[in-house]
Amino acid sequence: MIPRFRFIRPNSLSEALLALDKNEKTVVLAGGTDVITGMQQGDARFVSAGSVLDIHHLPELRGVNKAESGIRIGAAATFTEIVNSPLLQSDFPLLSQAAVSIGSVQIRNRATIAGNFVNNAACADSVPPLLVYDAVVHICSACEERQMPLADFLLKPNRTALKSNELVTEILLPKLSAGYQGSFWKLGRRRGIAISRITLAVLLKKSGKIIEDFRLASGAVTPIGFRFRELESHAKNHEASDQLWKTLAAELGEAILEKTGLRWSSPYKLPVVQQMLYGLLCELSNGRPS
Amino acid sequence: MTVRFILNKKPVAVEVESNRRLLDVLREELRLTGTKEGCGIGECGACTVLLNGKAVNSCLVLIGQVEGAEVTTIEGVAEGHTLHPLQKNFLATGAVQCGFCTPGILLSAYALLTENPHPTDDEIAVAIAGNLCRCTGYKQIMDAIRQTARENESINPRHG
Repeated sequence: MIPRFRFIRPNSLSEALLALDKNEKTVVLAGGTDVITGMQQGDARFVSAGSVLDIHHLPELRGVNKAESGIRIGAAATFTEIVNSPLLQSDFPLLSQAAVSIGSVQIRNRATIAGNFVNNAACADSVPPLLVYDAVVHICSACEERQMPLADFLLKPNRTALKSNELVTEILLPKLSAGYQGSFWKLGRRRGIAISRITLAVLLKKSGKIIEDFRLASGAVTPIGFRFRELESHAKNHEASDQLWKTLAAELGEAILEKTGLRWSSPYKLPVVQQMLYGLLCELSNGRPS
Repeated sequence: MTVRFILNKKPVAVEVESNRRLLDVLREELRLTGTKEGCGIGECGACTVLLNGKAVNSCLVLIGQVEGAEVTTIEGVAEGHTLHPLQKNFLATGAVQCGFCTPGILLSAYALLTENPHPTDDEIAVAIAGNLCRCTGYKQIMDAIRQTARENESINPRHG
């Protein structure tokens, strides 16, 4: 049984921000796929809420549109909106691929993009693509606005840089220059409604044989979604080769082990993640468009 | 709190505690028990209803969130005593065994055929991937949905 709380349903974003400012112990509710299941199951993060603030219906937080320097995604845009967005399909396809792999139709019709990462769960499928696309998070409170890269916003498991009186209002994806190829890969226990065990997002840009840019992020297999900047710098300005892909794949395994320590699942997961990165890089360098 | 919404095309107002889920209110206040509770955490799809035309798990919606919305449950699918073509075809193909998942699957199929009257088999599979059925093995369910789409086609031809 869900504990009692005061339910607040604002008519606008500014009303929502004021309500958040005035009410302590407010849980923000959008798609409810984390919050309501959490309340139902007695999750300490949600059951002590004095108030629940519903923001799912606010038009200011919805939609996917062209912005000055890229694409703006409303924080409460559902994964169905994201899957169906032609703008994202053409310009940020890894995010579309991740979105369509999330939950089920019913979940995608409710779950929202910011809801996927504001609780900073390791298995948030949209995070690796957002990280390789250098997503920026736009944050508002009743009195101020600020922006920061998603990579800085995600602090540690279940913790972000969001203050209790703030809402994420938009995600901005800066325009990507031409010539990138990319892949998103997810391993779950089955295809539908599966919590990810491993996710990888890769972007590669070559000039002739030389790697101009390489971006790599993981989810689920690291404690939070993570960009492997050291590995990225090892690849940049080098010639693309089978040997380099093997080296990067080996280094990825070591980097993950360093972050997570040895776990019961490591003997299974590490070879899988290494083999997958190697496979993705081979596919990409053979010119498979994405 | 008082929540007003459209339920199966009729306006309703319910006086309930804010911590109730749409699923609880449908079953316990409005006595529409066709909507089932399976897992209660959004994984099985037994509680699927249409919210503004879209399939959602009613166990993941707080009652306050449906203020002003349109909700369709399995009880709202037939026209009086005339079954919906999906209902007829579920019966005809033997797509119902224990029946617990049936209302949810039927509404997922209803939402699919409304948006996409001529789905491929893959599109049907994606549409019902959020509905678990432990009896049928899904074959008869797929047959029923396919058959309904074919009938749609004869009423409403693709290249008309």
